[in-house]
Amino acid sequence: MDKQHVAWSGIISLGAALMIGGSAFAADPIKIGIPVGLSGANSVVAPSVVQSAQLAADEINAKGGILGRQVELEVADDGSGAAGAQKAFDSLIFQKKANALITMETSAARNAGLPIVARGKVPFIYTSFYEGRSCSPYLYVDAWVPDQQVAPIVDYFMQKKGAKTFFLVGSDYAFGRGMLDFTRQYIQKKGGKILGEEYAPMDATDWTAIISKIRAANPDALVTSTAGGAPNVTLTKQLRAAGIKALYGNLAVDEGTAKGMGTDAEGIYISASYLTSIDSPKNKEFLAAMKKKFGAELKTPNDLSVPEYEGVYLYKAAVEKAKSTDTAAVIKALAEVSFEGPRGVIQMSKQRHAPLTMYLGQVQGDGSVKVLESFKDVDPGNQCPNLK
Amino acid sequence: MSAQLLDIISSAAIFYIVAAGLLIVFGVMKIINFAHGGFLTIGGYAALVTTELGLNPWLALPLAALTGLVIGALVEHFVVRPLYARPLDAILATWGLGIVIGQLITIAFGREVQFVQSPVKGTTSLLGEDYSLYRLLLVIGALVLAAGLAAILQGTRLGLMTRAVIMNESLARGLGINSGLVRFASFSVGSALASLAGALITPLSSVDPNMGVPWLVNAFMLVLVSGTSLVSLAIATVVLGGAQVLISAFWSPILGSLTIVVLAAVILRIRPQGFARE
Repeated sequence: MDKQHVAWSGIISLGAALMIGGSAFAADPIKIGIPVGLSGANSVVAPSVVQSAQLAADEINAKGGILGRQVELEVADDGSGAAGAQKAFDSLIFQKKANALITMETSAARNAGLPIVARGKVPFIYTSFYEGRSCSPYLYVDAWVPDQQVAPIVDYFMQKKGAKTFFLVGSDYAFGRGMLDFTRQYIQKKGGKILGEEYAPMDATDWTAIISKIRAANPDALVTSTAGGAPNVTLTKQLRAAGIKALYGNLAVDEGTAKGMGTDAEGIYISASYLTSIDSPKNKEFLAAMKKKFGAELKTPNDLSVPEYEGVYLYKAAVEKAKSTDTAAVIKALAEVSFEGPRGVIQMSKQRHAPLTMYLGQVQGDGSVKVLESFKDVDPGNQCPNLK
Repeated sequence: MSAQLLDIISSAAIFYIVAAGLLIVFGVMKIINFAHGGFLTIGGYAALVTTELGLNPWLALPLAALTGLVIGALVEHFVVRPLYARPLDAILATWGLGIVIGQLITIAFGREVQFVQSPVKGTTSLLGEDYSLYRLLLVIGALVLAAGLAAILQGTRLGLMTRAVIMNESLARGLGINSGLVRFASFSVGSALASLAGALITPLSSVDPNMGVPWLVNAFMLVLVSGTSLVSLAIATVVLGGAQVLISAFWSPILGSLTIVVLAAVILRIRPQGFARE
């Protein structure tokens, strides 16, 4: 208490000088900025991301904070897009003076925010899976890239199910095309044949023509990467109504959406770094803590929200290793520290990305996802060879 | 090739079902009802309620139509009627109403995509193709709908009054026809048809608060080129829907999604009355 008293009188007397010396005071909180899509396309998943961060902050604060400083979250809506992200990043970095940004966002929002991060010089941990190869001296990523996600599905189809011919369907945007570009190359490298590759606009709800083409091509397996939400649901429903029986790997469906699709989702193969059914003590602890904190308000934890939880802890570990929130020191430490969370031990040691254990799951009739296989520490590949 | 043929016929049927209500309102009231997408969404959620109550999925259809009818009647009485003399403001009011409906549904049911039980599943064999049974049923549904509307318009007193109001409202009023009643009836029926369409497309569509939006745009363009005739609407859905299927199949689905909008604009440029006779 006494120490705090000194700090407060210091604030009053020093005034503007505090801006520079502020971090020296123990009572000064560490601010973590979370620009996230509370409105727009990401609004379905954003609340679960914020809940994850809140749990991490509460746990850390209950145990004395980071270097004795409490953690404070600053959440800002990025509108799921570039224009909103610019405002959100600006306000978090320059007005709220966030010490770091840790968040899940759309690729458009991330790309719009990166120049502002470079200007403000704060560490940025991106916790959303994405199309890969986004590189900045301030950026770390603790979620998967295509190199990690696609291989489990394609390998399983080819080796276990004997699939030789593939048909690819996606939404026409960076993530959809990026994922399928990688998928096509990977399948061809493994000796599979691509019978067709089709894209529909991001907001398309009518898949009639594409489905007729799939039916005519009659592939062994189908791999899709649509925009989340409605396009994913309409494609799946119309595929089922058309009686397409090919193996169906969906690169863009999460557990929650699969559950929402009911029996139409049955049999879909998904590949993820997090599923609620992961059988580990850390995951059970995490799920129990989430349930206790949020009760009926709990948004089911998912592959986009759990990396946020781990991202906050990774930042904590890096600050403790660096013994300060100094950007250069924290950036250096982020590659070296690790944290064991619900997804296992996470270390962003490979060119700013993290080797991750990936799970191949199949959606069951009751909407749950059964883990068929797990692939330990899948390498993210060469994402940012020019960054150390 | 027979797959494309079935695609064209079933797509045209779906467009017809979705656009019929909009056309009736446009014919009588001379306004485009921008809340049409909202009523479509109401129909989708009526189907969702049916599923959640564990009822037979077919019951979604009457429930949706009834919900649309009641809400449409209320909207006509309290929102549209005071704006009869100001058609542009009435259009704006329906646009705002569409937003209000979307937000109310978000508050009541949440933003996420919901699951609705489909009444039929699987495929059936036709013209050498294993084709979606539900899409084929929609073709029959569209035919029944067209026949029903024609019977009402040609065979009943209300239909006669409606045709009179469509042709010349002032003259019809001068002859003692209660055009207010015709407007009320057609807006209610148009809304009921929109909700019915919303329930009918749920097995193909996602059920979320914005489900009506992509349908509204295409229905709007189809009505613009059809004028006030249900026959020209049928022609328009086959021509434009067919063009969309063919361009998507042989060129690119991205261009295909623009087809209806672009073709409608071109048709109106060359022939301002579109597919209507005069």
